[in-house]
Amino acid sequence: MPPPADLLQGTLDMLILKAVVLEPQHGWAIAQRIQQTSENVLQIGQGSLYPALHRLEYKGWIRAQWGASENNRRARFYSLTAAGRKQLEAELANWDRLAGAINLVLARI
Amino acid sequence: MLREAFTRLRFFFSGQSRATVDEELQFHIDRQIEANLSAGMSPAEARRQALVAFGGRERAREQCREQRPSWSLELFFRDLRYGLRGLLRNPGFTTVAILTLALAIGANTTIFSLLDQALLRALPVRDPGRLVVLSFAGDQDGHVHSDGGNSPGHAHEFSYPMVRDLRDKNEVFSGLIAAASHDVGITWNNRAESISAELVTGNYFQTLGVRPALGRLFVAGDETAPGANPVAVLNFDYWRTHLAEAPVVDKTLLVNGTPFTIVGVAAPGFHSMVWGRLPAIYVPITEQSVVLPDWSMLADHRSYWLNVVARLRAGIGPAQALASLNPLFHSLRAAEFSSLHDQSAEARKDFVTRAHLNLEPGAQGFSPTRQGMRTPLTIVMGMVLLVIAMAVVNVASLLLVRAATRAREFSVRYALGATGGQVMRQLLAEGLILGLSGAALGLALAPEALRLLIHWTAAGSGDTPPFAPTLDWRVLLFTLGIALLASVLFSLAPAVQFWNPRLVESLKQQSNSGAGSSLSFRRTCVALQIGFSLLLIVAAGLFVRTIENLRHVNAGFATDHLLAFDLAPELAGYPAADVAPVEQRVLDAVAALPGVRSVGATNDPDLQDDGTSGDVAVSGYTPPPNDDFDVELPSVSTGYLQTLGIPLLAGRYFNAGDTATAQKVAVVNQLFAQHFFGSVTAALGHHVSRPRLADTDAIIVGVVANAKHSSVRDPARATSYIPFAQSVRRSGLTYYVRTWQPPDTAANSIRAAVANIDAKLIVGDVRTLTAQIDNDLLTERIVALLAAIFGILATVLAGIGLYGILAYSTAQRTREIGIRMALGARRGTVVGLILREVLLLAGGTILVTLPLAVLFTHAVRSQLFGVSMIDPRVYGAAVLVIAGVAALAAFIPARRAATVDPARALRTD
Repeated sequence: MPPPADLLQGTLDMLILKAVVLEPQHGWAIAQRIQQTSENVLQIGQGSLYPALHRLEYKGWIRAQWGASENNRRARFYSLTAAGRKQLEAELANWDRLAGAINLVLARI
Repeated sequence: MLREAFTRLRFFFSGQSRATVDEELQFHIDRQIEANLSAGMSPAEARRQALVAFGGRERAREQCREQRPSWSLELFFRDLRYGLRGLLRNPGFTTVAILTLALAIGANTTIFSLLDQALLRALPVRDPGRLVVLSFAGDQDGHVHSDGGNSPGHAHEFSYPMVRDLRDKNEVFSGLIAAASHDVGITWNNRAESISAELVTGNYFQTLGVRPALGRLFVAGDETAPGANPVAVLNFDYWRTHLAEAPVVDKTLLVNGTPFTIVGVAAPGFHSMVWGRLPAIYVPITEQSVVLPDWSMLADHRSYWLNVVARLRAGIGPAQALASLNPLFHSLRAAEFSSLHDQSAEARKDFVTRAHLNLEPGAQGFSPTRQGMRTPLTIVMGMVLLVIAMAVVNVASLLLVRAATRAREFSVRYALGATGGQVMRQLLAEGLILGLSGAALGLALAPEALRLLIHWTAAGSGDTPPFAPTLDWRVLLFTLGIALLASVLFSLAPAVQFWNPRLVESLKQQSNSGAGSSLSFRRTCVALQIGFSLLLIVAAGLFVRTIENLRHVNAGFATDHLLAFDLAPELAGYPAADVAPVEQRVLDAVAALPGVRSVGATNDPDLQDDGTSGDVAVSGYTPPPNDDFDVELPSVSTGYLQTLGIPLLAGRYFNAGDTATAQKVAVVNQLFAQHFFGSVTAALGHHVSRPRLADTDAIIVGVVANAKHSSVRDPARATSYIPFAQSVRRSGLTYYVRTWQPPDTAANSIRAAVANIDAKLIVGDVRTLTAQIDNDLLTERIVALLAAIFGILATVLAGIGLYGILAYSTAQRTREIGIRMALGARRGTVVGLILREVLLLAGGTILVTLPLAVLFTHAVRSQLFGVSMIDPRVYGAAVLVIAGVAALAAFIPARRAATVDPARALRTD
């Protein structure tokens, strides 16, 4: 397994927002989803996941609610708020611009 | 955006609780274990792997907490809590530090509040920033009624014709108003009292933007032909306290016996366009002959008596206004000049060419007293700031001593990973606790101190003081600013020392003798304290000497066993013809009282900052051109000069033969005789008169010694006394009673004797002359008192601060002292060693500070009286006091160190 890639500054927030865009998820599932969809390239340390979740919640981009998990335990489920959706769109657009620009530079050289 | 702010605010007060975070993290681990189990691990392995993958749980928890919006505030509170615990463990240190700050900040707040009220606060009128005060340069040929506030080139009194011309012909003001004030007798409901009245122009209230609380205020139409419109507006405070808020509109009251119709009451808070003037009643300026019955000034171009304030038109600046006004002023002056007696080119230059108007900012109103108060207040404020600086150095040095004993604590904190910033934050938090506690205590003390001070200033004068014992936002802001600045400054002292020190070195601190940067810092603290307190003690000495000198100055007559009181029959409504007889009856009745040696009266009270002066024409004397020699012109009773005890040098005093119908006579003083005739005896037989006034020609029959007149501060001036039976104008008189017994016992019998003549007569304020002199010296007394307080405070603070530092640094040297003593040094030698170090430092500081002190003294020399700027007694005493304090502060710890058993001293770690 190749070593997990370092996350670009600020991209963790975007990944978390993207992970909860379809349905409410708890923290473990968010970490799993990012890891799996990135085919194990991106591994989110729990130490940074939960502070990030709380930060996003304090900013009002995601909302947390207690709910029953798939193994029937009480867990905090995070879902996207309207403000969070807007933020995600903005960050995605920004990401596309940035990635496009970097691609352009790399293609030229 | 708003939503986000709202969410943040909600979480600010209730972040995720610890239990929530714990449960969430626990769930994550459990879920991972479950996943590992289903991946086929053994239970123990699944658990181990999950925990390893998760990492430090405490750290995750901590990081979650750090995300809370209120985190930085929580950190700050934690620092405060920790700091508070530390300070409470050290109650002695904490008490001394907080008290020091409270005294300094309290004094500072009190004095700044006075400064704020006198110099900074704007008048309670509409848009005060657009107001300007008018003054002018140029000859004032005629007579001046001045309350003061004038300086060369800035006469603040205008004639009424000039005011009218300026008002009607200018193009730069939206309004120009004028006012003068005088005491009058008011009779309301058959009760008579003496109060202050302000004569104002009709547009006065409209231009200022003052609203009525009741009825209406004056309009331009109220300023009519002289005496044609007797209406009055009341001051709100007067209406409330003296008339019990009675429905007064359209009622009548008597002003000096003349009925006036009250049309309204002015809005609360408003007193006058002149700061410090507190009139009870306002009347139109055209009623001048009622308020000032001795004068007829409305049509006179050469009676200067009105203060003028104007409101700039929108869009016009002061410079622009001045440029437009001065040509107008010049043409008005030129027109006035054509009617003058002296038409020489030189006179024209002085009267017209050199004349010009000035505009001064008027937001705070004109004030004759402000100029006099500005310097003393600034001086006192300067002293207070020195006290604050001392307090800061003091607390800084105490903190430094305390911090030195905490070297280990800080080293441990650094070792545990604290950053320099965190240690700094901790020190700042402790400083803030001290600073804010001190400020709170100081603020709590300030209103009481202010009330005491105001009460003290008003005592004896009977006037309502222009100050209020309340603190406004500006004062609170200033105090908070000072407290924060002071806190940061003294917190930085230990911070500098502990800013990321090399650990090993600071751990070694316990065994070293406090060398290096901390030593020089301590020396700086000692030097600063000695320097600051020396300055304050010198100031205290100079001002105390000043007031002593003023109190013991020779007035030219004996001031003991002398009572003064005022009486004006006009105030009780006596018609002019009956005034002189009743005054004579009062003189006779008081003279007949047992215990009274003699009694006299004058229209120009002595040593009360009053003066009636003017130019005179003297027979046999041709004035040189440009001679502008004014003399004092009091009208006195026949027994006045004898009662005061002013020695006769030649000729005779007034006597009973100098009646209204006899040859008019005058008695002049030595200065007068010398100026006009060169010698005392040459004056007898010459004539003296007032130019431009009919029937004033009098023959000089006597010459008396010089006596101080307006104030003990000012030298005596040339004076020409005339008997009031022969004078043209008279108003209320001040009576002087020389008694056999202590004078205050006679006050009641005097009141009774006057009431016996007519109960309506108002005897104002019976006072001894010594009390009156004290009252006249109020500013000097206050400055001296405050300077003395600050001097003592400085000495005490220096004592505490020096002792704190020296006790610590001597204790640090216990080992060194032990070695010296083990090697055979005597106790006396050791004490001497430490004393010498401190005294050398003190001596050096004093040498540096003394020239500074002289420099400061030079700046305040206008406030000194009879004491040299380098008065050796004052400087010597100050140096002795501060050297004594330093020696004492060094001696106690030195002795303690020297009594330590050398063997024990060597064993201390």
